[in-house]
Amino acid sequence: MLPTAVSNDPLAGVAEFRDQFIRAYRFMLHARLLDERLASLYRSGKIFGGVFLGRGQEALSAGLGVCLRQGDVFAPLIRDAAGRLAFGEHMIDSIRTYLGSPLGPMRSRDGNVHRGRPKEGLLPMISHLGAMISVVNGMLMARRMQKRLGTSVGAACLGEGGTSTGAFHEALNQAGVERLPLVMVIANNQYAYSTPTNRQFACDNLVERAAGYGFDGHTVDGTDLGECLETLQKAVDNARSGRGPQMIVAPLLRLCGHGEHDDSSYIDPRLKQSELGRDCLEIAEQRLVAEGWLSGEEIGRSRSELLAAIDETISTVQRESAPNASAESWQALSTVSLRDMSSGTEMA
Amino acid sequence: MFTPLPQVPFVMPQLGESIAEAVVVRFLAKPGDNVLAGQDVLEVETSKATMNVAAPASGKVVEWFAREQESYAVGAKLGVLEVSAAEAARLGIGDSFEPAEHESMRGSVGSMRGDDTNKAVSPTVRGLPVPANATGASYMSPRLKARMAELGIHAADLAGVAGSGAGGRVTIQDFEQFLANLEQHRLTGASSMRVAVADAMRRSWTRPIATVGMPVVLEPLLDHRKVQSPKPGPALYALRALAIALSENSAPAGRLVGNRIVHPKSIDIGFAVEVEDGVLVPVLRGVDQRSLGELTARYTELVELARQRRLPTDATGGSIATVTNFGTFGLTFATPIPLPEQTLVLGLGAGRKAPHWDEAKKQFVPVMEANLTLSFDHRVLDGGGAGRLLARVAELMQKPSGL
Amino acid sequence: MSITYLDAIREAQDRALKDDPRVFIYGQDVGAFGGAFKATKNLAAKYPGRVIDAPISEDAMVGAAIGAAIEGMRPIIEMQFADFSTVGFNQMVNHAATLYWRTGVPCPITIRLPSGGTSGGGPFHSQSLETIYAHFPGIVVMTPATVEDAYGMLLSAVAIDDPVIFCEHKYLYYHLKASSLPTESLPIGKARIARQGRDLTVVTYSAMVHECLAAAEVARDEGYEVEIVDLRTIKPLDTDTVVASVARTGRLLCVGEAWPWGGVSAEVIARVTAEAFDLLDAPPQRLNAKDTPVPYHPNLWAAHRPTAQSVAQSMLRLLRL
Repeated sequence: MLPTAVSNDPLAGVAEFRDQFIRAYRFMLHARLLDERLASLYRSGKIFGGVFLGRGQEALSAGLGVCLRQGDVFAPLIRDAAGRLAFGEHMIDSIRTYLGSPLGPMRSRDGNVHRGRPKEGLLPMISHLGAMISVVNGMLMARRMQKRLGTSVGAACLGEGGTSTGAFHEALNQAGVERLPLVMVIANNQYAYSTPTNRQFACDNLVERAAGYGFDGHTVDGTDLGECLETLQKAVDNARSGRGPQMIVAPLLRLCGHGEHDDSSYIDPRLKQSELGRDCLEIAEQRLVAEGWLSGEEIGRSRSELLAAIDETISTVQRESAPNASAESWQALSTVSLRDMSSGTEMA
Repeated sequence: MFTPLPQVPFVMPQLGESIAEAVVVRFLAKPGDNVLAGQDVLEVETSKATMNVAAPASGKVVEWFAREQESYAVGAKLGVLEVSAAEAARLGIGDSFEPAEHESMRGSVGSMRGDDTNKAVSPTVRGLPVPANATGASYMSPRLKARMAELGIHAADLAGVAGSGAGGRVTIQDFEQFLANLEQHRLTGASSMRVAVADAMRRSWTRPIATVGMPVVLEPLLDHRKVQSPKPGPALYALRALAIALSENSAPAGRLVGNRIVHPKSIDIGFAVEVEDGVLVPVLRGVDQRSLGELTARYTELVELARQRRLPTDATGGSIATVTNFGTFGLTFATPIPLPEQTLVLGLGAGRKAPHWDEAKKQFVPVMEANLTLSFDHRVLDGGGAGRLLARVAELMQKPSGL
Repeated sequence: MSITYLDAIREAQDRALKDDPRVFIYGQDVGAFGGAFKATKNLAAKYPGRVIDAPISEDAMVGAAIGAAIEGMRPIIEMQFADFSTVGFNQMVNHAATLYWRTGVPCPITIRLPSGGTSGGGPFHSQSLETIYAHFPGIVVMTPATVEDAYGMLLSAVAIDDPVIFCEHKYLYYHLKASSLPTESLPIGKARIARQGRDLTVVTYSAMVHECLAAAEVARDEGYEVEIVDLRTIKPLDTDTVVASVARTGRLLCVGEAWPWGGVSAEVIARVTAEAFDLLDAPPQRLNAKDTPVPYHPNLWAAHRPTAQSVAQSMLRLLRL
């Protein structure tokens, strides 16, 4: 199972793939450990809203993240901690946003997965995830108008549930019409909250939709990091080289609840026992050891180093002061002169 | 008999959203031509497109009013078509056919001058335009109230103003006009005493006040007074009699507050003393507990202090009734107004000789008598209760030695 | 030379495209066809690649505008009708309106809504939706009533760093004409006294300004002088100018073509009663469209919304109160 090598030297291709695999694996591990710590903060009452984990989806997520590069656009879905880290988001942004720190990118105004740095190409999602795709389109269209699109691509991620929205249809059609370098990654994790796929769509495979929008379609086993890397790299390369929008559909299984408030008792046990229910992190580790790319000892060391860094960052954030409501501007417009000062919220 | 055939106008159609006018490019049918319903009869150009206008019915083109290359508003009559009676019947039109769109398509910007009053649009505000209490002479708008408060003017001051608002209410314009008119008179400042009395009377007058009266024979009182030293004034006799009567039954002096009667704690009674530009009411405390003799010196002292406007605070306020001796002005009858916080005011008129029938002598004899009045808050007391109280006071005054 | 309200909108866009390379126009039929109302006529040829036809996808149109704004562009989105903007509602109110507040990244997009009723428009080509957009924080809502404002305010809308909903009135497109384009305009957020008066303040905006001006002439015949305040922007709302006018007249009538429930007229009345109760010499009144969808037949349509005639009746009733 070798990658579609960019280099002519097969051995160089192998080395490149190995390095990419190891990088992606480390982001998977980092994300898994960070998620677990966030879950425990949630259970200890330190997090105000929900916590949404990526357990079982790290291979796809990290795989995409390492295929993207600085200057690309990334609109993650709610389970993309691994992809975010791989794209360059520092974990302190995540922790600060979950804990509501005013020093985070969302300055206590938005929380948990609703974070990003638009000017750095990382879009802060609104809850209506389908809505993010056309925003990625618009960024790519703008760059093209500004003649600075170059080989940059935009990646948008969605679960299979998000594909049922009108916004998804409008945006994919738009990307097809404009022939944008959009990489649409669909993590089919079998449940949209509790709704199974047979209540979500009627086609055999969501990738069938690709043709209808003028996209190249790819299907990949979302539990296998190697396959994810191979397919995503190909799709991203296609988009970069002007071959139009790409759709990747990755079947996998969410190995946790919708959020940490959800015990996911509705998940069919047969799915858990199936190939879909395999833990992508374990599979990646098995391959690392089998290929001799990392030893069990090295993996263990990575784990403890990452945990220490996570704990230190959490501790830093927990020492940061909480937001002060009286210091808030309470103004939603950037134009100071247009702020409506008489809105009946308080006595004059 | 010749019946003219029905005529149907060619009208400039609405050829698109927001289109106001279009230019006639050329006619595709000329007068005298027979056209079918739906047949193109002229070509027009809007700012959006060039299109054809079709005949509204089958018939003969009579005349074009419009001219080529000129612009006509939507709804304008461009020409006229003569149709058969059958065609007219099929279209449901008569001789008086007027396109329905005329009325509204004319638009309304700048064109509505109340010429279609029978087609008035009823506004969304239905029923009474404003709350019922927002009309009528007693309604004062927030602005009027604010302006009056600013100037220290009360509703009673506006009694003479004829309002021009709904139901005769005084509008702010009426009020300002009233103020302007005042400037044409000589204006002097009212003393603070006058303003204070006015305020008290205004507050009192918010209640229904009634008065009962009866004569009382003064001979026993005058005889008793002659042998006293110092001599109590007649009003003090009345005051003491009222105190005893109220100590027997204090209910008539109660105040109505909401749905409860507030009874007096102590029989404290005031009496009116005329001072410069007003009236003061010093108060004697616990009058039911003190004899006439004991009260006389204090009464005289308080009259003097009142005239000097030096009343001590313990002699003002908190009384349950007032006695006023309007007889000192030579008046025989009056209807005084109780103070705002009181239910009762007892009045004493001027004494005069009146003929009384002496049954023993079978003749009229002159007797000194005066009118005794009781004005009261009719919410608390009725005529019967007031009359019984007044009769008891009169009775007590007949036995001054008991006072 | 005569310039219509629609010309002014086209000229403003022409100038915005000419002066600022960041500006582009995106909407259905806006390209070579020039737009359903010809508001972008000839612009695609004049500015190649910058006046772009969109699929019938209001959500994606606004979404793309947000993305382009993040990348430093200043898009103008043309909704074919204000009524269709509801399909893009989510992107407008949940995305564009929240972006600056959430991230500190401004969202300078202008969304043009051909608004209001025209004869025969019916329920889905006639609506006045300014109120629902004004309800959301983070949005500026403009409602120009004159040719001059259509021009000046659209240029301002493009220049402003926040999302602007530009409600241009379809009835005014051709019915309103001026002799020339303005060289200067009132600041955005400032209301205009469209007519000075002494006896009654009428607060209104967009096409209703003209109905109210006509109605004021009826009131004048009865001896009343009505002051008319053209709000120009409904958000921000220039409460100061409204209150100053009510201070002069003591009476307030609000007129809007939109529906009454929780609308601009309700907001104006709420503010005046809260902030200037003591200035009112009569209960404030309002006149809006009837609380039904906009009817199709011209006779019903003319009765559905306020007209000079019904405004005049409301004025006189309030003046005689």
